[in-house]
Amino acid sequence: MASSVGGLAVRVQEEPQRAVQVELPAFADIVREHQGMVFSLAWHYLHDRALAEEISQDVFLELYRHLASIQSPAHLVFWLRKVASRKCIDQTRRRAFWPKFGLDDIPEPPAKTRPGDPMLSRALAKLVASLPEKARMLVILRYQEDLDPSDIARVLDMPVGTVKSQLQRSLEVLRDKLARTVGEIAL
Amino acid sequence: MSNLEDDLRIALRREEPAADFTERVLARLNQPFAEPTWRERLAVLMRPPRLQWAALAVIVSITIPAATVRYRNEVQYRAEGERAKAQLLFAVRVAGSKLHRAQRKVLETGRTGTRL
Repeated sequence: MASSVGGLAVRVQEEPQRAVQVELPAFADIVREHQGMVFSLAWHYLHDRALAEEISQDVFLELYRHLASIQSPAHLVFWLRKVASRKCIDQTRRRAFWPKFGLDDIPEPPAKTRPGDPMLSRALAKLVASLPEKARMLVILRYQEDLDPSDIARVLDMPVGTVKSQLQRSLEVLRDKLARTVGEIAL
Repeated sequence: MSNLEDDLRIALRREEPAADFTERVLARLNQPFAEPTWRERLAVLMRPPRLQWAALAVIVSITIPAATVRYRNEVQYRAEGERAKAQLLFAVRVAGSKLHRAQRKVLETGRTGTRL
């Protein structure tokens, strides 16, 4: 069976143990193309680089097993966002039940050169990480992936109205917390 | 658009994972696919999402009272059945003895008539 995913012709074979088997070089191209998106979703959500990489790997392994069900490049991107979001939220719930360490205990990764105020960006990323599970993913999908509320609603299986109101609320919370954080830094 | 939204876009910019990320994914693909053990399956079932626990609580709180009501109805139905059975047996016994008496009277009347 042949299918086209991410612009690549991928040969898919039926196998008893694994649902599909794809030629690895083609699959590697898919991973390379989308690893930044999947990893960033997990990284911004979890704020733990090792865990984010592990979750991202799990997402691609799951993709490999479900590749036959992917219908188009757009569907591939939608699928990756949906599965990555779900895995991140599940991970947070598990960690909330069996906490290993607090967010403040996690060392920050080495700062990279980026435009804008690096301190402000770091503070904002930390504030985003302190938002509740769903609200955090909403903000990440909105500002990392630049998705509009209807796309976010499809990814997270939520009503559009709820997405809009939660985004609005999250922005208010972030604005409020940021004002306090900046005030503390200024003092 | 507010400054906060611009700042969020910068703070949440995409980042790349470690350089050998793809190779590590492919290496994991080459590992034999292991079926989850019963312990892993149980651990998945016991995962903490509150929704699962809430659903379980709702199911239990509906099932137990429903089963109790059903059991009580069953016991009551059986008791009523037993009572009805006892009444029926009593009625049959009464009817039997009355029939017996009537039969005796008929026989006695017959004998007297023959003598006359």
